[in-house]
Amino acid sequence: MRVRQSLIELFSTFLELDASRVIGWATDARLRRNMVNSLSALSQPEQSEDFWVHYWYKLWQNAPESLGKGHLSAYLQEVCYWAARKTVTGITSTQYTVSDCFQMGILRVDKVLKGYKPNMGFSLKNYSSAVFSSELKEMLRQQNEIDICTNWRLLKKLTQKRLIESLQHAGQSADVIERYVLAWKCYQELYAPQQPSGTRRLQKPSEATWQSIAQLYNQLRHTQLTTPGAESNPETIEKWLSSCAKAVRAYLYPNMTSLNVKTGDSDAGELQDILPQLKQESYMSEIIAAEEQLDRQSQQAQIGDVLVKAIKELDDEAQKIIQIYYTQGLTQQQIAKELGVKQYTVSRRLTKARDTLLLKLATWSQESMHISLNPSVLNYINTLLEEWLQAHYSRNSLELEQSQ
Amino acid sequence: MTFNPSPTLDNPTHLWLEIPEAELERSWQHQPFSTPNRRWVAYLNRLSLSAFLPWLHQEHGTNAKPYPKDAALPSIWEAVNGTAISFGNTKMVLIPTEALDIDEFRVPQEWVDIPDWVADYYIAVQVNLEEQCIRIWGYTTHAQLKSTASYDAFDKAYCLDGEDLISNLSILWLSQQLCPDVITRGEVAPLPELPLAQAQNLIQRLGNPNVIIPRTQVPFTIWGALLQHGGWRQRLYEQRQGLQQQWSVAQWLQNGVSDFALLFGWATVDTQAFAGARGSNVVETLPTILRRLTIASQQCELRVLPQGNITSRIWRFELRALPGELLAPGIKLRLLTEDRKPFEGNEVEVRNNSESIYLEVALGEPPEGLVWEIEPTPDNFELEILYL
Repeated sequence: MRVRQSLIELFSTFLELDASRVIGWATDARLRRNMVNSLSALSQPEQSEDFWVHYWYKLWQNAPESLGKGHLSAYLQEVCYWAARKTVTGITSTQYTVSDCFQMGILRVDKVLKGYKPNMGFSLKNYSSAVFSSELKEMLRQQNEIDICTNWRLLKKLTQKRLIESLQHAGQSADVIERYVLAWKCYQELYAPQQPSGTRRLQKPSEATWQSIAQLYNQLRHTQLTTPGAESNPETIEKWLSSCAKAVRAYLYPNMTSLNVKTGDSDAGELQDILPQLKQESYMSEIIAAEEQLDRQSQQAQIGDVLVKAIKELDDEAQKIIQIYYTQGLTQQQIAKELGVKQYTVSRRLTKARDTLLLKLATWSQESMHISLNPSVLNYINTLLEEWLQAHYSRNSLELEQSQ
Repeated sequence: MTFNPSPTLDNPTHLWLEIPEAELERSWQHQPFSTPNRRWVAYLNRLSLSAFLPWLHQEHGTNAKPYPKDAALPSIWEAVNGTAISFGNTKMVLIPTEALDIDEFRVPQEWVDIPDWVADYYIAVQVNLEEQCIRIWGYTTHAQLKSTASYDAFDKAYCLDGEDLISNLSILWLSQQLCPDVITRGEVAPLPELPLAQAQNLIQRLGNPNVIIPRTQVPFTIWGALLQHGGWRQRLYEQRQGLQQQWSVAQWLQNGVSDFALLFGWATVDTQAFAGARGSNVVETLPTILRRLTIASQQCELRVLPQGNITSRIWRFELRALPGELLAPGIKLRLLTEDRKPFEGNEVEVRNNSESIYLEVALGEPPEGLVWEIEPTPDNFELEILYL
């Protein structure tokens, strides 16, 4: 993959992939134009990548529909690509290509932006890498499971939120979605496996169960739907639920062509072009001064120092287990075997070691960066700790391989 | 016990726990429920408990127990999803689901707005029966649910997006150390006192198993008040299973304590010994009904016995220390009507050096429900209704 050179490229180009490799970079004209304009609007040229990350991030915060998201999505292309590569290479049994994973990951930019805390002294790249990786793993886990269960079982394994998103993704109208969701709730209340084993093969409900589901639906539609609509019957309900299951499956297997269109944000254009201009000046002056940026960069290095030191202070056992876990990609069972201990001992030591590191990093953030701690901040630090550990140990093992 | 099913796809921040093999079968063989789905919900809750409690005990040295008590769980699961556990001054609610995605966390309103049920922490549990494990993928607090969750009026549930949860359960303990000022509980309004007639009416109506989702059939405050009363909740549960009266002491005397009452700790003891002591003969050999209690770490017995002939309708409630021990001064025994109204002579207090205290009540026809209370509150106490 060619490394993007200029700032303009960095914030306005998108990866082009075929099934397994990078073809090149495609420019989004609107983003490019916006970037050029924004650069020239400054009296002093601002060449720092960090500056622009924060600039677009602020813009996104104030106007989520603005081009800010597009610019940041462009910026995060490589991070997402590497997260996808790492995830796919880690799994032996997958039908998914790097490109599939990349497409799924980049859809999560919103989640990255929503969770990012710019004042915590970690870069957007680090944070997004952590989010992309965990999101991808999560999606692949779900796909593995979905692939081997029947529709009837799948319908028992959903959140309402996921169902609604799937139906929206499938292009259903708000009315239809409301009805489907109500039918699904009735199904939830009246159907369940009748024995605890072999549940993945859960079969279609019986005639009588369909009857009671339809009956419940017909009762509830008067109070629970915006417009009660027609009375329903067992056949219709069954059809609706099949459509739900289908939508849920489709939602997890994104259609590549439609995604490629979306990436560049080109469909919602006009409004976006007008919106952001207005506030640019005030952002420019308000935004973090150069000195503060320097601070942030040195903080990143300091965080590394704090953690390297904290790892050295762990007892030998803890150091060893954390190293094995992050470098060898073994399961906890396998590690237990290797060390000749019980599996829960492994899990316990691992958790304890990680908790110690989290505690130290959090305490350091509180003392040197004056961050006030609360559970949500600790959770954020935890995400970055995980990312740091993975990066740290994979770099170490790479260096080790090269030196051999 | 911790478990890591798929090495490269696991999220190391989440807590994975294995469901003990034996529990898969054992948890299935439990009390009846009104629909296959209620039974399934109960099953998922039981499995979650069986995987989580041993871990909690081992890693955090807590003596955590289901709240209010194990015997009360079926009556809760018949009504709503979720299991409360308590240890020390902390309460948690496990909310298990089978959803594969972790996009959303829904907490039924009962766990948030019934004052006695309010917990500090709400734990998102994903049950994967096929892989025999549970995954704790996040937690939140009562305060956060009250302040930031959206409320779904149809489901009567508080909903948070998955990413709003704290994904590492360790943070629950770390934050107690690092930021001890964090407030876990928000405010809740008290629920109304239900008049007896209304409660009976509700139990009759919602006790019909054809009412599929009773929790959405009446305004929440009324439903909440009904559930908060352990005795009424138990009756609602039994009614939905089509069970006859399980709490008639007169019937216990004749046929033995019912299966449910057994689970709640009631037993019959042969009173031959007492009868003999009084010099009467075989006619008087009604057994004594009793229940073991722990009050401020002291073991005691609560006994219920008819005075004289059973048809005289005079009953004695007696709180008795174990042989050779005395009750601590200040302990109070109190009887109330089913809807918790006091009546004259309904309370007695331990003065000094007594092995027992008792109350006697004369009742009319037809049988009436009474509840008993003790101060200080015995361990695992919840209101029970006895029909006398």
